[in-house]
Amino acid sequence: MAKAAAYFLAQLKRALKFAPAQLAADLLICAGAGILAYLLVAQGVFLHGGVRYRIGMVGNLSDSYLGFGISALQEMDDSRFMIELVEMSEEAAEEAFSRGELYAVMRVPDGLLESVVRGDNDCLITYTATDAQKGLGTMVMGEITDLASTLVTSSQSAIYAMQRVLVDQGRGDEVARETDKLNLVLINLVLSRSGFGEVELLGYADGLSMELYYFCNAVLLFLLLAGLLNCAFYARRHAALARFLKARGVGAFWQVLGEYLAYLCLVVMGLLALSLPLACVLERELIVIPEWEGMGVSPFWGFLRTLFPVAAMFGALQFFLYEAAEGIVNGILLQLFGGIGLGYLAGYFYPSAFFPERMRMIGNLLPSGAAARYVEEGLFGGASAGAVAAVAVWLAVFFVLAVMVRRGRIGRE
Amino acid sequence: MQKIEVSGIKKAYRRKKVLKGVSFSAQAGSCIGILGSNGSGKSTLLSVLAGVRRADGGSFLCDGTDLLRRPGVIPKVLGYVPQGDPLMEELDAWDNLRMWYDKKTLQNSLAGGALRLLGVGEFLKTPVHRMSGGMKKRLSIGCAVVSNPGILLLDEPSAALDPVCKENIRAYLEVYKKEGGILLMVTHDAQDLELCDECYILKDGVLHPYQYDGDFHRLAGILRTED
Repeated sequence: MAKAAAYFLAQLKRALKFAPAQLAADLLICAGAGILAYLLVAQGVFLHGGVRYRIGMVGNLSDSYLGFGISALQEMDDSRFMIELVEMSEEAAEEAFSRGELYAVMRVPDGLLESVVRGDNDCLITYTATDAQKGLGTMVMGEITDLASTLVTSSQSAIYAMQRVLVDQGRGDEVARETDKLNLVLINLVLSRSGFGEVELLGYADGLSMELYYFCNAVLLFLLLAGLLNCAFYARRHAALARFLKARGVGAFWQVLGEYLAYLCLVVMGLLALSLPLACVLERELIVIPEWEGMGVSPFWGFLRTLFPVAAMFGALQFFLYEAAEGIVNGILLQLFGGIGLGYLAGYFYPSAFFPERMRMIGNLLPSGAAARYVEEGLFGGASAGAVAAVAVWLAVFFVLAVMVRRGRIGRE
Repeated sequence: MQKIEVSGIKKAYRRKKVLKGVSFSAQAGSCIGILGSNGSGKSTLLSVLAGVRRADGGSFLCDGTDLLRRPGVIPKVLGYVPQGDPLMEELDAWDNLRMWYDKKTLQNSLAGGALRLLGVGEFLKTPVHRMSGGMKKRLSIGCAVVSNPGILLLDEPSAALDPVCKENIRAYLEVYKKEGGILLMVTHDAQDLELCDECYILKDGVLHPYQYDGDFHRLAGILRTED
């Protein structure tokens, strides 16, 4: 036990030698990430309509009904803040689309309106978008095409019925006027559709705002990839030392424990170094987290406290990966690809709400997912027993695996 | 320490039997040299005796105590220097030694003990990664012998060292032997063999006595036929 303690202190001394370089790297990354976050969030690129989807309208748009519909969408509908419709020729649209200046092209075929008036459905608006993935953009376009369908097709039944009744009653001269009236009523209903119900946005991760979600996950990703910054700790380690330690009565368990605790100190130092500039940024409101607005930095310190168990678990994961890898280069690659994979599946890069259900379930079971759940629950007054247990179990698993690998390495031929 | 007696040591890695019953004995103040081709099990034998790997059978009696049955005693009576240097590269010599011994013991050793003989005092504050191979090997031996263990196991102590370093280490080992220590050395070096009182060739998992007559080419020929 005394030798194990001495070994831990020696490893701690070793870790402290790496600390200045590691802290400098932390701050550099923090500065880079901070500038990026400032540009994306503080400048309000996403929040205040800075990004608009530009859609090229191609085809015969001379009809007054269509012209009225397009101008109604552009002038009166809520979608005008997000979507810009531009009339252009087929060639100009194709060129702009290939240059990436257009998000999508909508082709209105000749005779669309005549077809609609006849009650046929043989003419279709075609919509070509750059996004193959189902995302926000395609969801918006889905809504617009639904709207168009309602406006143009479903209303025809009512209009035809009304026209027939008027003709049957001998009031044929009123048909045009009444048709216009009905069209206006319908358009009015469509444009005011947002008033039909109240939409409650729950956010992408159990009620977190986009800002807090990405803030949490950026910090978690930093912790997950801390093994890359701390790779020097795992360099220049020889099997001879492990064997010598064993011969002097310090077995694999105590070796791993001593090294892991020293490594954990290094990770925690990095986290604390990162927290100071983050606290400054939040205090000066360079980045505003809606949930923490007007509360100063105290919620951030609470958030930081929830990160320590996660740092311990990720530290054990990193330790195990370096232990399992043959050589430092393999270890770094394993950290990089393992970290990115785990982070992606747990929704660190992209809200997991957009993932298929099964993928989301797998992501939650992974160590990165368990960490995210623990932190999210921690933000709402305290993590549940299940979330704490998941983090503790993963920590224990990685620690035991690291001990097993070390034992194998000591006894290897 | 008067005597060690190793008998019937067995060790297998899965199905591969590396040691099939290794036996020998040594008196205080003697040096045993173990030779053998690569992969013959020399390092495995030393690591089993040092308690690093578990033996599948046999005994290692040290003044009547079977060290294989009482592994907790091994660090007190035995010093082991594995192949490679068991050092922390970022720390200096003093910090590496402090991991194992208290300040007073180290100061005594530097003043007139093993560390003085090994010349470790000359590079006490040098980080290991800036040391030469010879310095590292002297420090590695120093880490194992400051507490004056009765048995010293060395795995290729002269590998990749220049003649001056070899001479330094050999000078220390001669003193260690003279003071009644038992040396057990795995080596491929002719100079090391001159220090040995008895030599064995490890072949097919058992030790065969070998009389080294100073003809290293003949020894190389014997080992080559075993490869």
